[in-house]
Amino acid sequence: MNFDKVIFGFFIVLALTLNFGFFLGEFENPDHHNSYEFFAVIVVNFIATLLKLGDRSQIGAILLAASLVADLQLVTAALYWGVSTHITNTGLTPDVMSSIVSLSGGALLANVISVIILVSETLMSRR
Amino acid sequence: MAAVEINRVGFLVLREMRRPIMTLIIVYSVAVLAMTLVPGNTINGETQHLSIFHAFYFVTYTVTTTGFGEIPGEFSDAQRLIAMLVLYIGVIAWLYSIGSIIRLMQNEHFLNALKEHRFINDVSRLSSGYVLICGFGDTGSLLARGLSENYISAVVIEFSSDRVKALALRDYRVHIPGLCADASIPKHLIEAGIRSPDCKAIVTVTNDEEVNLRIAVLARLLNPDLHIIARSKAEVYEEMLASLTDHVAVIDPFKTFADGLMMAIYNPVMYALDQWLVGAKGASLEKAVCPPHGVWVICGYGHMGHEIHRVFEAHDIPTVIIDSDINNIDAIPNLISGRPTARTLRRAGIDKAVGIVAATADDGHNLAILVNARTINPNLFTVVRQNLHQNEVAFSAADADIIMQPSLVTARRILFKLIAPMLKQLVVHLHKRNEEDKDYINTVIKRLLNTAGEKTPHMVTIRLNEQEAPAFIHFLKAKNPTILLNDLLRDPRGREYSLATTALVVNSGDETIVLPDDNYLAQEGDEVLLCGRSAAHRLLVASLNNPYILHYLITGEDLPRGWVMKWLSRSSWQQKTDKVSV
Repeated sequence: MNFDKVIFGFFIVLALTLNFGFFLGEFENPDHHNSYEFFAVIVVNFIATLLKLGDRSQIGAILLAASLVADLQLVTAALYWGVSTHITNTGLTPDVMSSIVSLSGGALLANVISVIILVSETLMSRR
Repeated sequence: MAAVEINRVGFLVLREMRRPIMTLIIVYSVAVLAMTLVPGNTINGETQHLSIFHAFYFVTYTVTTTGFGEIPGEFSDAQRLIAMLVLYIGVIAWLYSIGSIIRLMQNEHFLNALKEHRFINDVSRLSSGYVLICGFGDTGSLLARGLSENYISAVVIEFSSDRVKALALRDYRVHIPGLCADASIPKHLIEAGIRSPDCKAIVTVTNDEEVNLRIAVLARLLNPDLHIIARSKAEVYEEMLASLTDHVAVIDPFKTFADGLMMAIYNPVMYALDQWLVGAKGASLEKAVCPPHGVWVICGYGHMGHEIHRVFEAHDIPTVIIDSDINNIDAIPNLISGRPTARTLRRAGIDKAVGIVAATADDGHNLAILVNARTINPNLFTVVRQNLHQNEVAFSAADADIIMQPSLVTARRILFKLIAPMLKQLVVHLHKRNEEDKDYINTVIKRLLNTAGEKTPHMVTIRLNEQEAPAFIHFLKAKNPTILLNDLLRDPRGREYSLATTALVVNSGDETIVLPDDNYLAQEGDEVLLCGRSAAHRLLVASLNNPYILHYLITGEDLPRGWVMKWLSRSSWQQKTDKVSV
């Protein structure tokens, strides 16, 4: 067992599971989408991105790209959330909430890709 | 060169279109002018005129027969009169122009210029090295197939337009552009990129010996460094070709085959290995074809009969020759003149012979000889020449011991000269060792069977340089100057296993190492000829490009990936390396 792989795998899978948890629920209903959970999703995604930096292999490049996509989508969703509750004061109306959740859905897809690459690379080896 | 040709096509179009375009300009300008000058309806005592913009708008939709109506306002009768004239003349002018374009499109010379232009573009777009093939007959098409299976591009010049059309319909793995032209005209060779640094070799396999020679000479003059491979079936041409310089390789399928047959008689195991390496149909490492010793009957004393007789004579194997063309034959004992029939075969003593070679240039005759000879003597060892690829099925059904297909022998020889030039060094080495130690070849075969398996092997030449093996070069320079070649051939999925491949020959600087042993250290710039499974070769290429996998293969340790992991595991790393050094 390789301790590096445990840490790496842990954060990548956690990014996916938290993201999925936030995504679950009625699309437009703010009660079903916890803001702290969203916060955790962003933090864990940032950590996952950090872990992928500096990998010189091809697969490393794809993993990093997927992570950057997820970050971009999540940051956009977070900005939208902040702007609509504090600056325009529209509050979490159904259309605002559905935009945020659909953006997090896109990030979810990028995280799924990351996990698929991770798992398939591991399965390739006979070790 | 490409720019000149673009101009040529463009120039042709412009020259043909000069008159129609001039006509259109005149018709349009006169029509617009007329429409503005003609007085329109009178409104509030003022005669209305179309502005130039409105007149041009009207002419545009009228002469193209779109017909939006009278815009901007209702026309006067004078305007309607002019409008009618504009419509008829304008439509005729358009028909004339379009007709000119269509006429140009049907012009054969223009179409040829266009095809040449496209071909040149295609050739210039081929990125990696390609092979220029002159002649797309049986040999050319077999060669193109073989090259495409090894992902090497090719460019074909062929005289017959039917064959070029056939080429366009093939499903190759790489793009192979073809030009229908006479390859012995320098212009076409240049169009096919003979001067490009990407052109790795030229192969001349047209059916005309004269043409092959001419192409070889032209190629030597147009690009002195180019590797030339020429097929020749006649002694005179071979001598002329060989005198061109040392970059020329002459392939004579019959000579190659005759030497092979001799190898099969005196050294069946070596012959089996040779056939297996080049991927001959039905070749097997485990059971060798063993032609018997004794009297042989050769039917047909053409080029093939000649070559076989030469090697048989050199090894004191008794032969009887049957040929109808007496003029062909200069003072040979044991000659029977006449067509090879049951009668002449009997006279040749087929019932006491051990083998027969049906070597005429006619497939029907060869098959007939085979059938006749077998009825008289069913135990004969049969060698038959198959001239045309299309007769494949008939020859398979005839079940001869060795089928000699000149186009296949040639194509294979050329292909292996291109993809595995170092194979020759292996064969030479094996011959030399075989004289000292008869068992050596068996150990080599055992080794190949263990790694590559019984199926037809895949051969590849890998260069350990910056382009093809960046991770290897990096490791060599940064960490450790001693890397075992065997470590590179470990399986990236688990280094305790080896990949299904064997290094046959290594070219390291001026040195050539055949079948390197387990302690061979790989150097920068080494060329390695590998023989094994293609999946293994793909994995090897991947490891040579991936620094993490390569590090694992050589050391057995997984490098931490990414900056954070490197930083995190820094302390534990140092401990590990300390332990290793202690």
